Amino acid sequence: MKPSLDWQIATVRAVRSETPKVKTFTLSLPAWTPHRAGQHYDVRLTAPDGYQTQRSYSIASEPERTGEIDLTIERIETGEVSPYFHDVIVPGDQVEVRGPIGGYFVWQASRPEPLLLVAGGSGVVPLMSMLRHRAAARATGPARLLYSSRTLEDIIYYGELSALQDGQASLGVYHTLTRAQPAAWKGYTRRIDQPMLAEVVRPLGRSAQAYVCGPTLLVESAADALVRLGLNRAQIRTERFGPTNLAQGG
Amino acid sequence: MEDLQPDLSRTLRLDANAVAGLLREAFGTEMTATPIECAHCGNRAEVGTLLAYCHGPGVVLRCSGCEQIVVRIVQTPEFYDLDARGAVALRLNRLEH
Amino acid sequence: MPDRFISRGFVGKPRPADQAGRLPPGQYLTDGFPVLSAGPTPHISLDRWTFTLEGLVKNKVTWTWAEFLKLPAQRFVVDISCVTKWTKLDTQWEGISVDTLLKQVDLDPKAQFVVAFSHEGYTTNLPLSEVVNGQAFVAYRYDGQPLPPEHGGPARLVVPHLYFWKSAKWVAGLRFVERDQPGFWVSAGYHDHGDPWKEERYSSR
Repeated sequence: MKPSLDWQIATVRAVRSETPKVKTFTLSLPAWTPHRAGQHYDVRLTAPDGYQTQRSYSIASEPERTGEIDLTIERIETGEVSPYFHDVIVPGDQVEVRGPIGGYFVWQASRPEPLLLVAGGSGVVPLMSMLRHRAAARATGPARLLYSSRTLEDIIYYGELSALQDGQASLGVYHTLTRAQPAAWKGYTRRIDQPMLAEVVRPLGRSAQAYVCGPTLLVESAADALVRLGLNRAQIRTERFGPTNLAQGG
Repeated sequence: MEDLQPDLSRTLRLDANAVAGLLREAFGTEMTATPIECAHCGNRAEVGTLLAYCHGPGVVLRCSGCEQIVVRIVQTPEFYDLDARGAVALRLNRLEH
Repeated sequence: MPDRFISRGFVGKPRPADQAGRLPPGQYLTDGFPVLSAGPTPHISLDRWTFTLEGLVKNKVTWTWAEFLKLPAQRFVVDISCVTKWTKLDTQWEGISVDTLLKQVDLDPKAQFVVAFSHEGYTTNLPLSEVVNGQAFVAYRYDGQPLPPEHGGPARLVVPHLYFWKSAKWVAGLRFVERDQPGFWVSAGYHDHGDPWKEERYSSR
């Protein structure tokens, strides 16, 4: 049995803007242990009067990158923790974290099944960890990402996803933009639905292993659609992020 | 009363994975990959598939099949209160794999 | 013992200075009305809704929605505190005082406690003495509108002087009993009484 989960104090090494509302924070951890793609860390903030609050953030980086982790965090206007990260944190600051946590929503490159990843908004973060791990492990089994964002500028990791796709014939990246599309946009232009999923998953076949992550309603409707398309529930792993408009947290 | 707005409680629900840290603290080991059987409908699945309602005074985990309560956890400064009468079996991993 | 780690520059949600002592200890003010849920929101149609007074009463009484609305109602403005640490001041409700309801039944003198039960199986337990004399009401309107389902509509119990988990949502009735019966959150570790002014959050076992 692993020793119980302890909090450790991580140091912010770098902060990078991904989109207008999303930043990636690189943290170096004194007690880093290799994670599995899909896991998360819990972050705890403490105010001088002792008030504490905690959030979970998916690890964006691959376990092959030792000693540090990337957390990609969307700034939620009405939130408490994400505005702190975006507005206050600078490199050199320290943050209390514990992890890695999670044994269910994880993927290892040693898995043989074709891989389907479905993301809504910041739900792409744990799936990016999977794709980065897949690349580092030089896995070549077929994999496809279907990623829903509002507009082009909201797509997180756009350049890196293009590069990953260009570099591997076995990876397909499919975007859908639900609110506005640039001229000459060749991707999908609507919310994820069953016909869209059918097109994306068909070449992967009925043995595909699917990971779906994003707002709760998107995740549930995509998971239900995949079942109707012939996947068993056991082949579909979900990570719900809660409501799109987080009026109560973030 | 026909309510035409989306069910807010449903948009708030998460997977038990969201409370993986709490479960790990309470049980001393990673729990989300553990198989569990719902006492109400017999559905067997991993703890991670349970529907988690976390915005109340405690955490309520419901079966993704029948939506009945499987586990309730309340965390106080001194202890974890656990009600698992909705679960028939719970397996704790001995070895980290 | 090492000092607790403090996050530089973190102050948390805005917590306005205590308004003339209206904030119970350990609580923070909120402007919103957080939705707390332990499960899916039940949707109870008004033509199937009922409210029942039962248990240690000489005559069990049940009202339909139409009948319930004919009972004399009142407006209430109260502060509410949730054990998850938020407090909301001056919340406005409309509903029927438990005192009014009790006038419709003949209560057995052995009745000392009340179990408020909901259409969902959720229960809260209270001493009878804490729901009488204007301390509790069954509300069906909040802030001038019909009470929405996520906040317990069509009707919920409101007991403002105790932590808000005692105010059973989707209430279907009150059962009068002789002995205290721990309700949903009490049986899970919360304090049996739940007075925010004494910070009675958790049971001490």
